[in-house]
Amino acid sequence: MADTAGIVLAGGRSSRMGRSKAALEWHGSTLLRRVVGIVGRAVDGPVIIVRAPGQELPSLPEGVEVVEDAREGRGPLQGLAAGLAAARPRATAAYVSSTDVPLLHPRFVRRVIAALDDGADVVLPHVGGYPQPLAAVYRTALLETVERLIAEDRLRPAFLFEACRVRRLDAAALLEDPALAALDPDLESVLNLNEPADYDAARARPAPEVTVRVFGALRRLAGATADPALVAAATLAEAAAATNLTLDEHVVAALNGDQITRDPDAPLVAGDTVAFLAADAGG
Amino acid sequence: METETVAGGYFGRALVVDLSAGARADVLPLPDHVLRAYIGGAGLGAWLMHELAPPGVDPLGPEAPLAFCFSPLVGTPLTTSAKFAVVAKSPLTGLLNDALASSHFAIAGKLTGHDAIVVRGACDEPSVLIVDADGPRVEPAGDLWGLSADDAETRLRERLGKAWRVASIGPAGERLVKYATVSHDGRHAGRGGLGAVLGSKLLKAVAVRPALKVAPADPKAVLAAARDLRKRSFGPATAKYRELGTLANLLAFNAINTLPTRNFQAATFSDAPRLAAEDLAEARGVARDSCASCSIGCEHIYKGADGKGTRVEYENVFALGPLCGVSDPDAVLEASARCDAYGLDTISAGGTIAWAMECAERGLIDAPWLRFGDAGALLRALDEIAAREGLGALLAEGSRAAAAVVGQGSADFAPHVKGLELPGYEPRTLQAMALGLAVNARGADHNRSGAYEADLSGRHDRLSGGAAHVAAAIGTEDRAAVMDSLILCKFLRGVFEEPFPEWARLLSTVTGWDVDAEELAATARRIVLAKRAFNAREGWTRADDGLPERFLSEPLEVGSGRSAALTHEQLDGMIEAYYEARGLHTSGLLKSAQIRDLRLGVERNSTRSISAAVP
Repeated sequence: MADTAGIVLAGGRSSRMGRSKAALEWHGSTLLRRVVGIVGRAVDGPVIIVRAPGQELPSLPEGVEVVEDAREGRGPLQGLAAGLAAARPRATAAYVSSTDVPLLHPRFVRRVIAALDDGADVVLPHVGGYPQPLAAVYRTALLETVERLIAEDRLRPAFLFEACRVRRLDAAALLEDPALAALDPDLESVLNLNEPADYDAARARPAPEVTVRVFGALRRLAGATADPALVAAATLAEAAAATNLTLDEHVVAALNGDQITRDPDAPLVAGDTVAFLAADAGG
Repeated sequence: METETVAGGYFGRALVVDLSAGARADVLPLPDHVLRAYIGGAGLGAWLMHELAPPGVDPLGPEAPLAFCFSPLVGTPLTTSAKFAVVAKSPLTGLLNDALASSHFAIAGKLTGHDAIVVRGACDEPSVLIVDADGPRVEPAGDLWGLSADDAETRLRERLGKAWRVASIGPAGERLVKYATVSHDGRHAGRGGLGAVLGSKLLKAVAVRPALKVAPADPKAVLAAARDLRKRSFGPATAKYRELGTLANLLAFNAINTLPTRNFQAATFSDAPRLAAEDLAEARGVARDSCASCSIGCEHIYKGADGKGTRVEYENVFALGPLCGVSDPDAVLEASARCDAYGLDTISAGGTIAWAMECAERGLIDAPWLRFGDAGALLRALDEIAAREGLGALLAEGSRAAAAVVGQGSADFAPHVKGLELPGYEPRTLQAMALGLAVNARGADHNRSGAYEADLSGRHDRLSGGAAHVAAAIGTEDRAAVMDSLILCKFLRGVFEEPFPEWARLLSTVTGWDVDAEELAATARRIVLAKRAFNAREGWTRADDGLPERFLSEPLEVGSGRSAALTHEQLDGMIEAYYEARGLHTSGLLKSAQIRDLRLGVERNSTRSISAAVP
């Protein structure tokens, strides 16, 4: 059984944004696609999206699962219940995220996950003076507790936290992780977008800086660029474009020496290393 | 008596030469249904070994046959078709071994008038086998004995004439080093010790000269197909091979924790940039070359410190460089040159020496001079192996046999499967390839299994082997079986958008058969299973499909911090799934219906001792 699944709640009404947050454009991709990809990099279990009944979602990578809220408009506990129910047979815990956190860093997710120990049922970050229930880790065994609260119409996350063991992490505790302190010192991982102005401001920011390396015969195609090179890129497509490469069947990319991908929407974050390789490894 | 019509591109016969009887020649008819079932090259070789190798034969004994197998495409204008397979029971593994090599010998050998040339028996003295229009004959070759394969080839061609083409062995083959090569024009049928098989027969070389012609069934269509294939061979699918050669893998694999280092203790090598193709090409001067009938031109020849050119590939640089901890490019080029001169498989040589370096550092063998990273030690080890002197007497047997002698747990890190040393693909970070290495009939082999393609495709998690990896591994085995039997170079594979339909059309055009993709896919499966069946006959068991303990108990870490671990349970699960997907018994043996489909022994109406499970 995996240790941790990822759950992304996409079923919110987005009433202040005025349009679906899941489908908001983000550097050629969408917010939902980005957040799903970031969470997926940090967990070892399935990634599950919870949507509202009948909600249309933008295109998603292969392997991501989609489940529905039992009822729409009942708040995050309803979505949490649906997500925990899907995750429970396959993971002992789940990192739960909202959709509207484009600056989420996988290192943040791992930091929160790492804080879950035998003495806690929930790891709850506190950033900027506020608890962050949609940037937290929950034991999947909490499903019954969550369902009971829903049945009792006690829908605020605070009721859940009263009913279980919560480990709270403030900013200082989070930033005890030196890698997180280097990559996300202002904990912008929890910066969420409520209104159009929030979205516009976040979207206007420069893309994260990533290191790109190009190997073999691809170097000729990439032209006289430095190797390694620092480029601003929020997606693999942007990194390829910045390097004069086309992501076709002859090119693959390795992210941080780990996953091999050709997905142009694969999200990139500050500190990532992207290695472009010829797809043919024969030799 | 009615004579069967021979399909286009074939002669319909194999020459079988008994060296013990002064080159007495028999002609073995190859009926149409056998050729259609096995095509040529590796496939035909597998069938020939079933037919001609006595069960339990000593690979270095006179009864052991060795076959040079050609194919219907050889001699056509189809690019990369000038290839031949050398097939025998391997003295290194005790199992079936087919090794491919390239260039003019394939064409000249086939045009002696035979689809295969088989030798068995043994000469009384060092000899060469000569085959031309006058038939086969054996001539003394004492003056060639002790020469490198290249020098022997040169001298023989000076003696016989430029129309002759030669496949020969070096001193390592003469001394029965278990991973000695058979070489032609600087290219090697490298793996599995086939050079030792010829050495055991005191056969220094085989020289062939064309005597006949053979036409494809539809020459115009073949020419048109050849023009199209040649054009496609210049495209992006082959760019890597043309521009930098296979050595382009080195830095790329290093970047993704897949470059085997210090006997697979690690998967990144900090000094890899010193050996990188990207920089060596600039610093060293590089020349390109190609086999006969090849439009890709993958061969890259680098200048060593002495100014001499050495052809390098990824495999010999990884095996003699990072695998042994050696980073000096001059030393690696010199080591490669020595392997060529001695006639040693660089992969097995590097793997066995790396294992020995680890044994020495652990104090398991008394060789204080042998340490990782010591280029002088690497070169000394190669010299001793080729001469079978000092530590080389043990190392010449390969890492499996040497570990059996040394004991003390050294088998856990002997880098082989079924006795064949691993190529430069780290199984823990390429878990589809881990399966491919574990189940392959030849042993740890990156040519008969291309499962790394799945790992590097982006479609599967390369660090989490499972069901999807099984299907991918089987697909690459089947494609390799066809390419190795047609024969076409695997560097061409990326140009085929629909491989099986396109290959079926090519084969039909050459032979005149009406072959479709479905039939070709069945042929691929048959060839793969024929090899497995031979091995089962020769003593293979389920325990032989696996990986050394190191890969199943020592995880690695990749750049993201994620662990690359492969457990016994995971690998066993993939192997079981492989057997099921192949339709095999849970033991890995063929079922009766599969054995019948191999169409063995039909011509002789004899029964064969082939292990099978009750269906």
